Amino acid sequence: MIKWFSKWHGVVFVATLLTLLTGLWLVLSAPADYQQGDAVRILYIHVPAAKMSLLSYLFLTVASGMYLWRRQEPWDILAEASVSVGAAFTALTLASGSIWGKPMWGAWWAWDARLTSMLVLLILFMGLMALRNALEDPHKAARATAVLAIIGAVDLPIIHYSVVWWRTLHQPPSFAGPAKQTITGDLLPPLLVMSVAFILLGAWLLMVKSREVAARRAWETLETERLEQSHG
Amino acid sequence: MSKLLRAAYRIAWKDVVGDWRRRATLSSMLFFAIAVLVVFQVAFDPDRLEATRLLPGLLWVTILFTSLMGLGRVFQAEEEDGALEGLLLSAVPRGVLFLGKWSGNLLLTLLVELALLPLTLVLFNVDVWGQLPAIVGILLLGTLGLTGLGVLLAAMTQTARSRETLLALLLLPLTAPLLIAGVQALAALLQPGGEVEPWLRLLVIFDLVYLALAPWAFGWLVTE
Repeated sequence: MIKWFSKWHGVVFVATLLTLLTGLWLVLSAPADYQQGDAVRILYIHVPAAKMSLLSYLFLTVASGMYLWRRQEPWDILAEASVSVGAAFTALTLASGSIWGKPMWGAWWAWDARLTSMLVLLILFMGLMALRNALEDPHKAARATAVLAIIGAVDLPIIHYSVVWWRTLHQPPSFAGPAKQTITGDLLPPLLVMSVAFILLGAWLLMVKSREVAARRAWETLETERLEQSHG
Repeated sequence: MSKLLRAAYRIAWKDVVGDWRRRATLSSMLFFAIAVLVVFQVAFDPDRLEATRLLPGLLWVTILFTSLMGLGRVFQAEEEDGALEGLLLSAVPRGVLFLGKWSGNLLLTLLVELALLPLTLVLFNVDVWGQLPAIVGILLLGTLGLTGLGVLLAAMTQTARSRETLLALLLLPLTAPLLIAGVQALAALLQPGGEVEPWLRLLVIFDLVYLALAPWAFGWLVTE
């Protein structure tokens, strides 16, 4: 798997760059919103980033489940990499949402359902990183983070719905299907291209991060062997 | 079946009695809870009306922080002399081991809550004594899920560096639904015309999910 990543990450990088540039060009040439003005352009980054942070968590859950089932290290490498990628997208989502929220809502932050769930998601990603760093034994760390990822996967919907019941002032979703389409035709192409660009970006980041994780683990194994030899 | 339940009961009993005799967790949890109450009083200095409004949040925050103290010690006895390996080698399924550890912690936490509740009402001068049984019921429902998730996370972080910080970092965000439902249920109970039932339903969902998931997850955690 890592070999395959090493071979193809360059191609994915070029594809990401081209799609991202096309997307940005479309975003900048799209008409400004009659209510939101130019601030609406932030949403072309915010919405794909939000989808990618959830997708990263979904991927993490699958990788963690597969690791617990099969106990094969590549699944754990993918899990570790997807935590970092997911944390980056979640942070981007929160930051871009805040920048958009200030002119639109008059506040950087509101305790609405989706914002609160996203913040909890970010803390969860941080917790997963902290847990892995805090456990010495790599097998134990792999198992513990996999279990925590699955607990989080169960908890996130409960968190989301409990905060929805608690309070909500966020806009209804924009991708809700043709019946409830709330976005005009002009704005859809840049959003779609940006979504594709972010999926590619996520894939590329995952490949690069997985290579880094695999390389670090290989180095750590070598280091342990070297220490054992020099003592023995 | 009864054999397995007896095994779980023995594990819980050993924890509770051991703790009772050493006065270890129980007393430190209780005094920590009182310290939190003092901090709240000094920080917010509520009058009678405000105290009634603040009571649900205050109770739950105190319980959450206090339970962190107890959870930090759930697996302390098992760390010494390979006691955990001993437990794992016994002919008892992992889920039953979890059940034992969980019910021990649940009992200790409930004891602290039972002492904490009248103390809070007295210290904050809130007159809701008439609703005491309902309040205890809501606290019990919340504590089931809180300790279920907490004991699982304690097992997860048991050998970690700076584990108590890590435990807090993991437990606090994951218990967000519990805190929302617990606080809202208490608030609805104390307000005339408040709707308690939807929040109770959320508490029950949280409890069922974690008490079904945690024994399995514990099994995955401790397998070698």
